[in-house]
Amino acid sequence: MKIRLYLAILAGKMAIFFSRLAGNQGTNFPGRLARRIYPPILTELAGNILRETVIITGTNGKTTTSNMMAEIIKENNFSYVHNRAGANMITGITTAFIQATNLSGKREFDYGLLEVDEANVPLLLQEIPVKALLITNFFRDQLDRFGELDNTINIIKEAVQDTDIELILNADDPLVSHFQNQTGLNCWYFGFDDTVYDDIASAESREGRHCVFCGHELVYERFHYAQLGKYSCPQCQNQNPARDFSAHGLNLSPAISFQVNNLPIQSPYQGFYNAYNILAAVSLAKRMGFPDETIQTAISSYHPQAGRMEKFIINGKTVLLILVKNPTGLNQSLVALTQETANKNVFMALNDNAADGRDISWIWDADLEILANRQEDINYLICSGLRSGDIAVRAKYAGFDPARIVIKTRLQEGIARAVEGSNDTAYILSTYTALFTCRQILLKMQTKAKRQSNQSQYQRQSG
Amino acid sequence: MESLVIAYMYPNLMNLYGDRGNMVCLEKRIGWYGHQCEVRTVNHNDRLDFQRIDMLFMGGGSDREQGLVYNDLLVKADKLMQEIEDGLPALFVCGAYQLLGTSYQSHEGTVLNGLGFFDLHTLGQKERLIGNILLESELEGELKTVVGFENHGGRTYFDDEQLKPFGTVVKGYGNNGEDGREGIRYKNLIGTYLHGPLLPKNPHVADFLIKAMAQRRGITLSEPLDDTIENFAHQQVKNRILAGK
Ligand SMILES: [Zn+2]
Repeated sequence: MKIRLYLAILAGKMAIFFSRLAGNQGTNFPGRLARRIYPPILTELAGNILRETVIITGTNGKTTTSNMMAEIIKENNFSYVHNRAGANMITGITTAFIQATNLSGKREFDYGLLEVDEANVPLLLQEIPVKALLITNFFRDQLDRFGELDNTINIIKEAVQDTDIELILNADDPLVSHFQNQTGLNCWYFGFDDTVYDDIASAESREGRHCVFCGHELVYERFHYAQLGKYSCPQCQNQNPARDFSAHGLNLSPAISFQVNNLPIQSPYQGFYNAYNILAAVSLAKRMGFPDETIQTAISSYHPQAGRMEKFIINGKTVLLILVKNPTGLNQSLVALTQETANKNVFMALNDNAADGRDISWIWDADLEILANRQEDINYLICSGLRSGDIAVRAKYAGFDPARIVIKTRLQEGIARAVEGSNDTAYILSTYTALFTCRQILLKMQTKAKRQSNQSQYQRQSG
Repeated sequence: MESLVIAYMYPNLMNLYGDRGNMVCLEKRIGWYGHQCEVRTVNHNDRLDFQRIDMLFMGGGSDREQGLVYNDLLVKADKLMQEIEDGLPALFVCGAYQLLGTSYQSHEGTVLNGLGFFDLHTLGQKERLIGNILLESELEGELKTVVGFENHGGRTYFDDEQLKPFGTVVKGYGNNGEDGREGIRYKNLIGTYLHGPLLPKNPHVADFLIKAMAQRRGITLSEPLDDTIENFAHQQVKNRILAGK
C-alpha cells in the first residue's frame, strides 16, 4: 500500500517545481504538503540511507559546518542527502529528501547530512535513525529570553537519552559540558588550546557564564570567542572536558590555519567563529572515518558561500554583502570589517519581520562600539530597513559621530549612498528579510557598471 | 561637573537583551548634559550604599534567577522602599517590576513571594504576550507617547485601585492585556514591561529620570540635547505600530 507515498512524493516534487517557478526557494511548503498526504514519508525515505545519517545543530555555524562536511563527503565520492541552508525545520528536511529521491521513492544514498534547527532535533530523532549528533555551540540569540535556551538544551538532552547516538561536542562551551554526565552517551569533544587571539577579559555578550550544575558564576582563564573558552566553576569543580580533537597553533590571518591533533588544516575562510566551524567539521569527519587527506583537501578548497559574505565589484569598488542576525554574528562582522583599514562606507539594513525576529533589542547586546572605535576609517554609516532609526540610535549611543550617521530607510537609496562617494570599499550588512533585496540591488548595480565600462571601452576603441 | 551614580542591580542575573541599552543611554545623556555618570554594578551579597546612589536600575531574568535575587533584595528592602518614598529615581523592567508586587505565580503553579512594595500581583501563563507596544504616558505634566517591545508570560493586576500605571495602552498588551494599563509609576519610580530597550527611543523618559536625579542633587543640566535621531526612531516605530505591523 505505497500509493500514498508515491502521491506524496509527486505532490512534493510538483510543489518544489512550482514554488521555484514562482521565484520562491521552495523550502518548507513541499515537505509540509507531502507530510500531510503521507505522514511517515520522512522515515520511509530516510530508510534509503545506506551508511549513516549525521545531524548538525547549535546556535551558530550550522550551515557553514554542514557545508564543509558535505565537501568532505563529496571528496570521498559518496552520495548524500543534504538540506539547504535555512531549511532546517522538519518540513524543510522532508523537502530535501523529496527533492533527492526519484518518483518511486527508492533512490539510495550513502549518507544523510542534516543541518537541524535546535528545537526540531527531538522531532527528527523520532523519525530518523541517527548515528551522530554534532552540537556547534549554544549562544543566546534574539529569540531567547527567560531561559528558553535552557529549555532547548533540556529537550535535546531528553531526546538523546536512551539512544546510542554519538555526541560530538564543543569542549569550550560551558553550556554543552553537562551532556556527558547526564546522558551517559559516548561523547567526543573538540576545542581550542590557548591561542594568541584569546581575550583575558572579554567585553562581549555575558550570557551562559553560570555553571550549569550549581549556578555559580564561572571563572574564565581565557576567552577564545564569546563565552567559549577555558573556564572552571569555583564551587563544584566543573571545567572544560578533555579534548579528543584538540586544535593548536591557530593563525587567523591572512586565512585560517591550525592543527587538529597532528593534522594540519588550512582554509580560505576568516574569523575565529569559522575556525570553530572548521574544527567541528574536521572532528565529525574523523569520527566518521574519512581519510585525513580528503579532509584537508575538502577544507582547503572550500570557499566562503554566497550570501554569508558575497563580493561585488561596482565601478572598480569592492562591495561586500554580509548577513547578520544576532549579536555574536554582528560583532564578528564588525571586527572583520574594521580590521580592513581601507576607507569605507558601512551600510546596515535592520528589519523586524518574523524571520528576522520581531524584537530588535539584540542590537544593544552587539558591540557597535567596535565600529565607533574605528570610525576614522569610516566615511558614513548608512542606516536602512524597516528599523533604520533603531540602528542609528544604537550607533549614536555607541559613540559614532551623529553627523556621519545617515538614515535612508529605503534599501535602494541606502545602498546607492553607500556605494557612491570617495570611499574605497563598502560593506552592506543586512538582516535576513532584507538580504535578498540588497543582493538584487547590488547585482543590478554591478551589471550596469560593467555594461557602462564596456561601452566606454568600445567608444574609445572605435573613436 | 558633578558625578551621578546609578546602581545597576544584578547585571549577571537580571539581564535581558536590551537592558544594557538603558544603562548606555543614561550614561551618555548625562555626559552630554555636562556631567559624569558612574554605573556601579551591585551583585548578590554586595552592600548597597544609598548615600552614594542617585538612581537604581534592575532588569529581568528567568524564574530561577528571580528567586536568587529575591532573597538578596529582601535584606535591602526596607531601606530601599524608604528611598523610593523619598523620591529616588528607579527603573524596574519586566521581572524586576513583577518583584515589586506581593506575589508571582508561575504557570506551573509555584508561588514566589514579591517584595510587597505595591499592592499588585502577577499570574504567569504559558502563552506569552509578545510584540511592539505603544503607550501614552504623563511625564512632567505632559502626555507623551512611549514605544517599546514587550515579551512576558506574566499578567500583572493591581489590587489597589489607587495605583497609577506608567501609561495607558494604545496598541499592545500592557500589564495583562485586559485593563489597558501598563507598568506602574510611583513618585520617581517606573516599573514596566517595556524593553527593546525602553530609554534610547524614548528620550523624554530618560530625561524624566535624569532630571529627577539632577534635582535631588541640586545640579543643573546644560541645554536640551539634539534628539533628531532618537525622535526619528521613536516616530518610525510608532508609525509601524499604528499601521498594525
Ligand atoms: Zn558549579
